[in-house]
Amino acid sequence: MLQIIVQGLLLSGLYALIAMGFTLIFSVGRVLNLAYGAYLLIGGYIYFTVSQTLGVPKVLGLLLAAMVGCLVGLLKYRLLVKPLKGNHVAVEISTLILAVVVQAGVVFIYGDSSKILLPIVPGVTQVAGASVTYNLLAATIGSWAILFALYWFVRKTHVGRAMQAVSMDTKGAAISGVDPDRINMFTWGLSGMLGATAGVFFASYTQLSPSMWVAPLIIAVAVVIVGGIGSIIGTLIVAHIIGFMEVLAVAVIAPELRGVFTMLLIIGVLVIRPQGLFGREEL
Amino acid sequence: MGLRWYHFALWAAFIAIMVAIPEFVSKGTLRIIIFANFLAIFAISWDVLSGRTGYISFGHPFLIGIGAYTSAILTKRFDVPIEWAIPAAVVMTMIGGIIVFLPALRIKGSYFALVTLAFMELTYQLVQVIRPDLTGGTRGMSGVQTLTRGALNGYYLSASLMVTIALSMWLLMRTQLGTALSAIGMNEESVRGSGLSTTKLKLFAFLTSAFVAGLGGAFYVHYLGSIAPRALFDINFLFTIIVAALIGGASTIIGPVIGAFFLTFLLEYLRPYLPGAERYFIYGLIALLLYMYEPKGIIELLRKGWHRLFSRHSVETPS
Amino acid sequence: MSHPLQIDKLVKRFGGLVATDNLSFTVEQGQSVGLIGPNGAGKTTVFAQIMGEHRQTSGSIRLYGKDIGAASTPERIRLGVSRTYQVPRPFAEMTVLENIRVGQMPNNLWQMIRRKPQHEKEVELALSVGFLPSDLGKTPGELSMGDLRKLEMARTMATGTSVMLLDEVFAGLTVAEIAQIASLIQQMRKDGMTFLIVSHDLKALEPLVDKVIAINYGARIAEGTFAEVMNNADVRSSYLGAA
Repeated sequence: MLQIIVQGLLLSGLYALIAMGFTLIFSVGRVLNLAYGAYLLIGGYIYFTVSQTLGVPKVLGLLLAAMVGCLVGLLKYRLLVKPLKGNHVAVEISTLILAVVVQAGVVFIYGDSSKILLPIVPGVTQVAGASVTYNLLAATIGSWAILFALYWFVRKTHVGRAMQAVSMDTKGAAISGVDPDRINMFTWGLSGMLGATAGVFFASYTQLSPSMWVAPLIIAVAVVIVGGIGSIIGTLIVAHIIGFMEVLAVAVIAPELRGVFTMLLIIGVLVIRPQGLFGREEL
Repeated sequence: MGLRWYHFALWAAFIAIMVAIPEFVSKGTLRIIIFANFLAIFAISWDVLSGRTGYISFGHPFLIGIGAYTSAILTKRFDVPIEWAIPAAVVMTMIGGIIVFLPALRIKGSYFALVTLAFMELTYQLVQVIRPDLTGGTRGMSGVQTLTRGALNGYYLSASLMVTIALSMWLLMRTQLGTALSAIGMNEESVRGSGLSTTKLKLFAFLTSAFVAGLGGAFYVHYLGSIAPRALFDINFLFTIIVAALIGGASTIIGPVIGAFFLTFLLEYLRPYLPGAERYFIYGLIALLLYMYEPKGIIELLRKGWHRLFSRHSVETPS
Repeated sequence: MSHPLQIDKLVKRFGGLVATDNLSFTVEQGQSVGLIGPNGAGKTTVFAQIMGEHRQTSGSIRLYGKDIGAASTPERIRLGVSRTYQVPRPFAEMTVLENIRVGQMPNNLWQMIRRKPQHEKEVELALSVGFLPSDLGKTPGELSMGDLRKLEMARTMATGTSVMLLDEVFAGLTVAEIAQIASLIQQMRKDGMTFLIVSHDLKALEPLVDKVIAINYGARIAEGTFAEVMNNADVRSSYLGAA
């Protein structure tokens, strides 16, 4: 029982981090970035190359992964999203294509087979009778730290408030002197950075494979749909609902069914309560 | 319907080419064209629903899968004759179509696309654990009864199925019904405001799309003789269907056929250079660039080219 | 004798806000009625309830004596009432004729497949609202605001409507376009169409209406001829208060 709680808490923290970058884009830019999972892919593989293959210190590897993720986010906004301005269907479809392209690119460079990422922090400890790897613990603590920093950033800084303004009313923000284009640009960069960082943690939790972008995308989608657009608190709560549901499904029913309840939750919430469990409050 | 002489001419030419193809190409190429035919059927199915009404389905493999699995299970596990199994599979797929239709009553746009994506992933996971004695679980099924032997027969069957579906959908979409479905894609509220029941129209689009998907899926499984969940409920498969419809030219029926052939051959030409999944890198990039350059697809490029060449005539491609 | 449109004790609440407050009025056969009031008075909400886009909280809406409170929007349109919108909503990738065609279609899938488009009738409708023959193949992107309004009226007429609700038909139009639309409405009145018109442009509205109903905060504050309503003290203060 305690083991389930510990496992659930750890997994949920990771999921919250994964979902956060996706939520930001949906909230500020009002578009679904189906290539979001590609950031995780890129982050994971950059870290793998730099730190595990070339032996660069792990912290540097993580930073580099985050920076590349940020760069990819910026490029994606400039080259893809901005030219298709406002056309949601076109953005969804082209980001879906892009995700497949990135996946194929990874196969091209690294091959089809999955790779084991060595734990970022090696070692195992016992928490309340459950064995917990330091790695997952570090991932969870890391995501909580990032989430708090993000919360502070959005609430307290000038840029963060501008993001809130754009997410509530793009035109109104523009009239008040906020440049929505720059804020969008910034958000895409930030989202890429968060995604790539989450990718490193996620890969060290599972493993590194070219198809590891689908599951996180679905988790992110579920969190956004169930939690409502862009609420950081909502994201956190729903990430825990989904995390615990998965841990429970694995422990109580069958490991193969771990994703089924997430899917049912998405369908159920969209059909019964399209506005999400916590309403569509802004950022 | 406003049929003109050149419509007949173009269709006749299309059918003539399809009939003549086996005379000119190798068995290997014929096998590739068989896949193009099936992809064209799936892309038409997607186009009838998503290309027209703007309800983007990310779950088409869900519908195709129902058709394929139903027919495979009925013939293999219950010894139902194929001629009964295929209609039963189509009916099952249409029931699946109604299931996908229900969320469309309340949600639109991105949210609808996400529900259908969730449907696909859900089926993928369920099919592996629920009654694996029937579905074959993770490994799927092999040794499913096939309808034809040899590339030539397979080609004729798939080609006639594809041409029949394309022609009947094209005729159907040229009626006022097709116009009304397109109107939903442009502005659903205004369609209601014109006194038309959008619920009825959408239900029709979903059922027609499911009908085609089920038919295609059932024939496909009886061509392949096997079925594997990972190959079917797969984002790459979904991606190929959608991209075929879009870069061919959505909402035109003929566009998806062109797109399906274009993609299938592109993928084959890349094979000698890039044998594995990395082919999708070039393939996806070309698709992405084409889509960004002309969102209305190849058919629109052809139309524009035609216009430039014969700008004095009033021209119209079959759309 | 049942009237084309009869609203009785209509109430609409959005949470705590009363958008329509016990509103009753009648539009007689062939009459043209203006519905006026300051911004936020609830005019468009009344239209939305007549069309079934919003359900009323209580009260009844009768169309030719038939209570349509439970009918869907398409059903109401087939019973003979339809509306235009302040911001026109055309089908962006269709020509003028095709836009009108959607209004003409039967609401029956089988007949949609079987029946050919009634080309002559579409052309006739398009020309009757003032389109030139050269406009018929244009798409909405190539049309002016005035033309878009005409297109919407033509599509509405194509549904066979006999009671037409016009929402801010003059908003965003040039003086010349206002004159065109006004004469179009006059022509249709002669042909027997019944109108309920919302407009802020009172000067343009004056010659078009037999009767005016003024509302504020969802409730009726005056009803009568245009001159009577304009001289009503409540109406004057509501407009001044809102300004």
